[in-house]
Amino acid sequence: MAISKESNNSPLPKHTAVDQEDLVDDNTILVQRTLRSGQTISYHGNVVVLGDVNPGAEIAATGNIIVMGALRGVVHAGAGGDENAIVLAFKLQPTQLRISDHITRPPDNEAIDTAHPEMARIKDGVVTIEAFQTPPERQAKP
Amino acid sequence: MGEVIVITSGKGGVGKTTTAANVGAGLAYLGKKVVLVDTDIGLRNLDMALGLENRIVFDIVDVTSGNCRLRQALIKDKRLDGLHLLPAAQTKDKTAVSPEQMKALCDDLRQEFEYIIIDCPAGIEQGFRNAIAGADKAIVITTPEVSAVRDADRIIGLLEASELREPALIVNRIRPKMVRQGDMMSIEDIIDILAVDLLGVIPEDEMIVITTNRGEPVVLDQSSRLGQSYRNIVKRILGEDVPMMSLDEEGFFGKIRKMFGMR
Repeated sequence: MAISKESNNSPLPKHTAVDQEDLVDDNTILVQRTLRSGQTISYHGNVVVLGDVNPGAEIAATGNIIVMGALRGVVHAGAGGDENAIVLAFKLQPTQLRISDHITRPPDNEAIDTAHPEMARIKDGVVTIEAFQTPPERQAKP
Repeated sequence: MGEVIVITSGKGGVGKTTTAANVGAGLAYLGKKVVLVDTDIGLRNLDMALGLENRIVFDIVDVTSGNCRLRQALIKDKRLDGLHLLPAAQTKDKTAVSPEQMKALCDDLRQEFEYIIIDCPAGIEQGFRNAIAGADKAIVITTPEVSAVRDADRIIGLLEASELREPALIVNRIRPKMVRQGDMMSIEDIIDILAVDLLGVIPEDEMIVITTNRGEPVVLDQSSRLGQSYRNIVKRILGEDVPMMSLDEEGFFGKIRKMFGMR
């Protein structure tokens, strides 16, 4: 998947530790629709989608990708080399998921039902998927 | 002023032409003034589905290029008074008509007909661009196959980009038994991905092959379940609230009822 030239020119932000504060980026685009087959977004920064990402749609971002809906297409977070980028979706069922230069796909012949929001990130050099939970210190006090 | 409805799908062979013929015939049967426009230039088919092949003298390219008047190219159906066909050209290709010409043509037809049904060619190239150019509404056809649903999704995206929002969906060739066994995508699975309003569901039936080959729209067959599914779609287009037909096979009592002519 090619990233448009503009998005590759400027230098990428350097991250030192895997901390949530590091996920903050000045450049964030809000996509307020469902991405359908054949539609693509490539962006220098973070991409937030309010809708689904259908099979056949593609997102490439130098930062993080957050989908407030079902993610069924191809996504590439940290395109350009950011190993700390994450992909987060309410329903994480991508055709293919790429972070930096790691490429993963879901296992064959295995229907995964994702009931909770999940987050993909690189941990110890491997793309891992875990249930997304707000850290305790950020949860609303009862 | 008439309403221009384009019937499209992206993928070929999912039933655009058959649906166009049946929806058009169904509307005309209920007394509406309807014209069917075949925009599949070079691969003319809609005339055959209506059994009007041998009546073609002029076609859509003759009209847009000024070789004849619109009235001369329109073919009146042999069964239904209100039904007309504007056939495609068979010897030209899609570039013979431009989107601007299609828009003008649709505006001309709007003056005279209540419903202008446009049969769109497969694909997303100029033929598709032409077909949607003058449309007010779109009906997207898909079958319960991943490839057809993927193409329908692409088409809905392109329709939205062309300001044709909220297309209606028809799911064609569904096999309830296979859905129950989990071997076929269900209506819910398809709606989950496409997120559009469902206009109707048409079950798989061998009869469609026979009626289409004969050039007799099955919607006119009052006794068949298949005809009923098309009639329901026609009623929904006219704004009636018709519940979705149960897809379960008729069963023993259904057969008995059928024997006694009860429906």
